[in-house]
Amino acid sequence: MINEVTNLVVEALPQVQGYVYPNEANVHPVWSVLIVIYPYITGLVAGAFIMASLVRVFNVKALAPVYRLSMLTALAFLLCATLPLLCHLGHPERNYEVMMTPHMTSPMAIFGFVYAWYLMAVLLLELWFDFRQDFVRWSKTTPGFQGLIYRVLTLGVTDLSEKSVRLDMKMEWVLSIIGIPSAFLLHGYVGFIFGSIKANPWWGNVLMPIMFILSAIVSGIALCVFNYIVLSWIRRKAVDMRCLDAMAMFLFYALVVDAVIEGLDVFHRGFAAEEGFAVLQTMIREKLFYTLNIGQAGIGTLLPLVMLGSLQLLRKRVPEAARRTMIFFSGAMILFGVLMMRWNVVMGGQFFSKSFRGVMSYKTEFAGQEGWLLAAVIMCLPPIILTVLVKLFLSDSKELQPSEHLPEPSAKT
Amino acid sequence: MLPFKLPPQILRLVLVAMAIVGSYFAARSFLVPPSFGEYGWYRGDALGEIASRTPVFAGKQACDECHSEILHKLAADKHKTLSCEGCHGVSREHSNNPDVLPVKATGSHCIRCHEANLARPAWLKQIVVKDHYGPKCTECHVPHQPSKTP
Ligand code: HEC
Ligand code: HEC
Ligand code: HEC
Ligand code: HEC
Repeated sequence: MINEVTNLVVEALPQVQGYVYPNEANVHPVWSVLIVIYPYITGLVAGAFIMASLVRVFNVKALAPVYRLSMLTALAFLLCATLPLLCHLGHPERNYEVMMTPHMTSPMAIFGFVYAWYLMAVLLLELWFDFRQDFVRWSKTTPGFQGLIYRVLTLGVTDLSEKSVRLDMKMEWVLSIIGIPSAFLLHGYVGFIFGSIKANPWWGNVLMPIMFILSAIVSGIALCVFNYIVLSWIRRKAVDMRCLDAMAMFLFYALVVDAVIEGLDVFHRGFAAEEGFAVLQTMIREKLFYTLNIGQAGIGTLLPLVMLGSLQLLRKRVPEAARRTMIFFSGAMILFGVLMMRWNVVMGGQFFSKSFRGVMSYKTEFAGQEGWLLAAVIMCLPPIILTVLVKLFLSDSKELQPSEHLPEPSAKT
Repeated sequence: MLPFKLPPQILRLVLVAMAIVGSYFAARSFLVPPSFGEYGWYRGDALGEIASRTPVFAGKQACDECHSEILHKLAADKHKTLSCEGCHGVSREHSNNPDVLPVKATGSHCIRCHEANLARPAWLKQIVVKDHYGPKCTECHVPHQPSKTP
């Protein structure tokens, strides 16, 4: 044991510069790369859901071809959202205990409620109402195990009368109206977890939840763009350019707002120049130089802004294939940039000493419970789940559209 | 019965929701450890389990029986505040049975306390090992009497 402690110190000391309290010096950041991908995944969920809600709530017809795909994307990612946390806590096999004994005063524990509400009360319900007609139809025509799945999913209700379908649509509309604030809550809560830590100047900031939500929307739309193009490519189907252009437009607007808010945050911190500002500058100039300036700001924000912005101006004059490629690459770069943003937030807050006068570093391990191999494996799960979901529920591209019978204007009032 | 009839799909959802909530409470009744909440938000039995672990440290007094000479030397010099096991590692097993030797104390463990670090108090003598005379501390310093040379 004594040798372990000694080795730890011998390794840790050279990674430390400046004044670092002794009890900070020999531990690398406790919140590892797993905690980086956790807000990344929840952000993708919230963003994909908010984009889908544009179709339901704001009746953006052009986006209808990706409605179901983005809802299923949200589901696939949400199912994996807690995995990084469970692995990080060290005893994944005891995960049920936290649900059996919910604690009402711990902000982290309340997350269980936020998560359960969003998954059970919003996402699954809305999907169920949307797919109910199809479940009933498929359950009659599909044989074997797959048919059994559909039959179970109908919950035994086979009523497809005009009246009951209209009720489905109405419920869906209500659910997406509840869903938008819930999606904001889901990801705003992640931002709150960081923003409420007032002792840490990198985190403690009321803008944090807002920045998290905006970057979530951006990354969610980018993910839907990505998935849609990849799915059409796998199926060798033509991409619906009207839909893709609409997504690119929303992506551009969301990115503009996101970039402005994040820039405002930097400006605000710089102008207020509070106690911890010097160490924040070190972060930006040295410790996070590549991930922040190049990854987040350059690749993740500026380049896509230029590409998407020029598409907004010159849409008619850019040939379709080029437009598709540009939108695809902006989406991919945004996905990368938002991952970098999560890294900068999570790691940035842990790189400096509580004294604000020294900095530490973090060497990602490869294997091991907190290693990036595990993080990569977790990141691969949602696409796999999504593939299964798409196979089960979107096997025909006609089904990409949401169910018909949108609430009639008269019924809405 | 009910004054109005629930649409069939809503009725099913209500039933499913009730089943989920019901199975949650059923699961709670046997998944929550029995001693949970006895003293606070944790398993009461955990205290007993932790207390029943065998200690691995012996404490300075235990070494007095056989190494009292070293104890005196140590107490007379600058390292008097240090515990033996701080350098030699856990030694309870050794003090019960001297045939089990403690882990060999190597030179590198001195720098746990003496490597220069801004956060250490100034009264604690510090060196930058790279610039110091050599890596084998015990060649020039007596660990039990640090102000003496061998
Ligand atoms: C019951 C008597 C006894 C007690 C108590 C005891 N030791 Fe020892 N210790 C010995 C004997 C005997 C040796 C010599 C063994 C040898 O050289 O083979 C020894 C050797 C050592 C050595 C040298 C090991 C080596 O590698 O040469 C160290 C270090 C040591 N003891 C530390 C301690 C510490 C620290 C304690 C108190 C926690 C302690 N001992 C308690 C009997 C004891
Ligand atoms: C500052 C760290 C340190 C402390 C504190 C310390 N020792 Fe040691 N001890 C050493 C080192 C290093 C050696 C090995 C010396 C060598 O290799 O020449 C050693 C060697 C020994 C030995 C082997 C015989 C010898 O004299 O060389 C015994 C026995 C021993 N220590 C017992 C003790 C006991 C008992 C205490 C507590 C009273 C104690 N030590 C406290 C560092 C320490
Ligand atoms: C657990 C921490 C600790 C370890 C390990 C430790 N020391 Fe020390 N050492 C001290 C403290 C504390 C002092 C200063 C005490 C004072 O000045 O009151 C000190 C003082 C010294 C001094 C200065 C003595 C003087 O005359 O002022 C030397 C030399 C020294 N240690 C050498 C060593 C060597 C060699 C080792 C490794 C065998 C070692 N130390 C391991 C804590 C430690
Ligand atoms: C080649 C001999 C030699 C070796 C090996 C050596 N030292 Fe020293 N050490 C000295 C001498 C001589 C002094 C006193 C003169 C000085 O301060 O430069 C000293 C002083 C010290 C002091 C007191 C510094 C002060 O500010 O007064 C500490 C602490 C110390 N050594 C620790 C260590 C440690 C730890 C190691 C092992 C990594 C070590 N020494 C290895 C020769 C040595």
